[in-house]
Amino acid sequence: MLTLNHFLILGAILFCIGLFGAISKRNAIAVLMGIEIMLNAVNITMVGFSFFNKVKPYSTYLTGQIFAIFIITVAAAEAAVALAMIIAIYRKRNTVDVGEINLMKW
Amino acid sequence: MGLYQYSWLILFSPLFSFVVIIFGTRMWDLATRRQVNATASAGDHAHAHSEGEGDENTHYIETTGPHGEHEVLEDDEDPKVPRLTLGAKMSGYVSILIVALACIYSWIILFNQTGLISIAPRMPTSGIQVLAYDWLSGSQGTPPYTIAYHLDNLGIAMMVVVTTVSLLVQFYSQGYMENSAGYARFFSYLSLFTFSMLDIVFAQNFLVIFIGWELVGLSSYLLIGFWINKTAKPEQDRPAPATAAIQAFIANRVGDVGFIIGIMILFTNTGTFDFATLSSPTDPHGVAHVFAGNTGLLTLAMILVFCGAIGKSAQIPLTIWLPTAMEGPTPVSALIHAATMVAAGVYMVARTFPLFSAADPLALQVVAWVGAITALYAALTALTQTDFKRVLAFSTISQLGYMFVGLGVAYHTDIGVGAGMFHLFTHAFFKALLFLGAGSVIHSLHHATHQEVQDMRKMGGLGPHMPITAITWLIATLAISGFPFFSGFYSKDNIIGLTFEHGDYGLYIITLGTAGLTAFYMLRAFILAFGGKGGRFGGLWGGPYRGEGDPHESPRTITIPLIILAIASIFAGYWTGFFGFVQPGAPSLNIGTVLSDPLTWIGVLVSFIGLGWAFVLYTRFDLATINNVVQNNAVLRFLYYLTLRKFYIDDLYDLLIRYVVFGVCHIAAAFDTYVVDGIVNGVAAAVTDFGRGVRHIETGKVQTYMVGFFGGVAILAILVFALVTFVK
Repeated sequence: MLTLNHFLILGAILFCIGLFGAISKRNAIAVLMGIEIMLNAVNITMVGFSFFNKVKPYSTYLTGQIFAIFIITVAAAEAAVALAMIIAIYRKRNTVDVGEINLMKW
Repeated sequence: MGLYQYSWLILFSPLFSFVVIIFGTRMWDLATRRQVNATASAGDHAHAHSEGEGDENTHYIETTGPHGEHEVLEDDEDPKVPRLTLGAKMSGYVSILIVALACIYSWIILFNQTGLISIAPRMPTSGIQVLAYDWLSGSQGTPPYTIAYHLDNLGIAMMVVVTTVSLLVQFYSQGYMENSAGYARFFSYLSLFTFSMLDIVFAQNFLVIFIGWELVGLSSYLLIGFWINKTAKPEQDRPAPATAAIQAFIANRVGDVGFIIGIMILFTNTGTFDFATLSSPTDPHGVAHVFAGNTGLLTLAMILVFCGAIGKSAQIPLTIWLPTAMEGPTPVSALIHAATMVAAGVYMVARTFPLFSAADPLALQVVAWVGAITALYAALTALTQTDFKRVLAFSTISQLGYMFVGLGVAYHTDIGVGAGMFHLFTHAFFKALLFLGAGSVIHSLHHATHQEVQDMRKMGGLGPHMPITAITWLIATLAISGFPFFSGFYSKDNIIGLTFEHGDYGLYIITLGTAGLTAFYMLRAFILAFGGKGGRFGGLWGGPYRGEGDPHESPRTITIPLIILAIASIFAGYWTGFFGFVQPGAPSLNIGTVLSDPLTWIGVLVSFIGLGWAFVLYTRFDLATINNVVQNNAVLRFLYYLTLRKFYIDDLYDLLIRYVVFGVCHIAAAFDTYVVDGIVNGVAAAVTDFGRGVRHIETGKVQTYMVGFFGGVAILAILVFALVTFVK
């Protein structure tokens, strides 16, 4: 029997994996992938909450699901912009290593 | 009353001429002045020389001619113009005309008030207010901050002195300042000074007198430093005029600190500045009422007020500035540093005399003793000075000391301020005459030698060369020495007699001895300049001239004031009603009583001893002989250097300032550098260093920030969890 907790734990695990990837990976593409995982972890949590809402049945109250669709849309746009930036940086500096991209340093 | 009511015109007319000159004729002078460089100036001179200007002025032209061609001292001197422009001359005329009108007006007031003429009803002896303006309104009742001027008998006597001497000095300056590039500026300063001095004379309260007090200090500063291009002459022990001006200003400030503190003590206790209110015995704001039973504070306040007079009148211990102030032009010395400004201290004490009387006797004793010690000190110092003007400077200090003695011993007497003010009155004339005569000699020697000769050792035998100057100078010498029937005889013997009557035998001995010294050094100066061994009348007239060139009598613009002042020096003493005039109820001077009093003849005897000793010493022996004797005798040599170096007071001040004042300054500077700056710089450095350390957090890597961001969120989450779990 699936309960809300399963969804939440899955979301938390996915979020941590994504966070670990975003923080620890040197490759900008991998960082981007980590971010996408985090976003989808949130989506699962949202949908889970929406589905297991006991006060109002989900058929009449779709806020969580609609939020998830918005996040997917924004994530797509974000991925496009981020990839474009990564390509631009690669052309300029010949690397996608985020450790080297530190122009904002003190 | 109209005659008196409009006397504010006298006060403001010099200010008017100052404005006219500064904004009008001086601009005209500068605009029309031809632009000449050094060589063109010399050429111009030659031109003026060859051309001549008629018979009367030939002498004038010839003697001024070589100025431009003479190279020595050229950059050291007052910048000259070959010929004064119309604008410059007009400045002089405006100034002289206006002060002449003021002078005539003040004499009319004097004559009317004494009853000599009668064109208007006399004003009451308490005086009248001639002008008042509420500067700041007071909170309740009478406004304490009032710019108010009033006129009373004391003011009239002083006003006459100021306007008369101003007029004569300005007239004289036409000759003395001939060809000076700063001619217009000079006259504007003189006008400013006359206004400032009259401001003191007319002052109705401490506020106005203090304003005038500072204004005369300013004009004195401007006029002492008039020859801004002159440099110091260390070999003659003469500072640069600019330095002298600063010294005079600062020494006056030292006294003024006491003065203003004294005024503040009086004001905070009584709530008024007004002289009449303060000295009124019945007014609730009067000192008699406010300080009743507690005169200690009043005594302190009056001694502090007297500090202002010490500074302005160059009394001990602030004597130092007056001798160096002699670096200014001689007419300035005559007007400011002999006749009027230095006497402002005496006038101020006379004006506030009721307050001094209301205080403990100590206050006036301080006045008298400071005066007496100063009189003796300055007379001793004057004995060995060789600079013509410095002898006169010390003589002025000494005579001012007499005036303070005259005021100080008048505690609870009928004569009141009469004795001191009478000496001020007569002294103004003969001391102005002495200075103007000295200026005439300097002027003449400047033409003869093309140098500024003030050293009496380079003079001698000038009597036949410049008879008018010599005769008038002799008259002034006799007047100041207390020679019978000259003005100084009446005024000075009066003060000496007063000390005896008052029972202050210490003061009596000092003033009497000083009278002898005065006679000695004045006749010494006269013989050194105008006479000498081998001259006529036993050496008084003529004798060898020790300088260069061929000195001549000065032009008429210079000699006319000398003659007028000589007449005044003789007859000023015969205003027998003076005491009653300035101090209602005082007995008038009875010449018969004076002449029959043995005390008078003791004073005359002492003067004669001084005169005789000087006569014997300086007409029988020449300077080299006297010098040899002094140098070969250890005691005499010691005394000679002691007095020549002014009892080392200047050196004492030098040490005091160099080690004490500058020492404190160094400590203060160190405190500022290490403590104040240390705190400020330390705070700044700490912030900078902290920032330098902390900025390493900014790695520029997005992932670092991400760690911080999520780490922060995690910590917050834990905190919230903890709060929710453990706090209800």
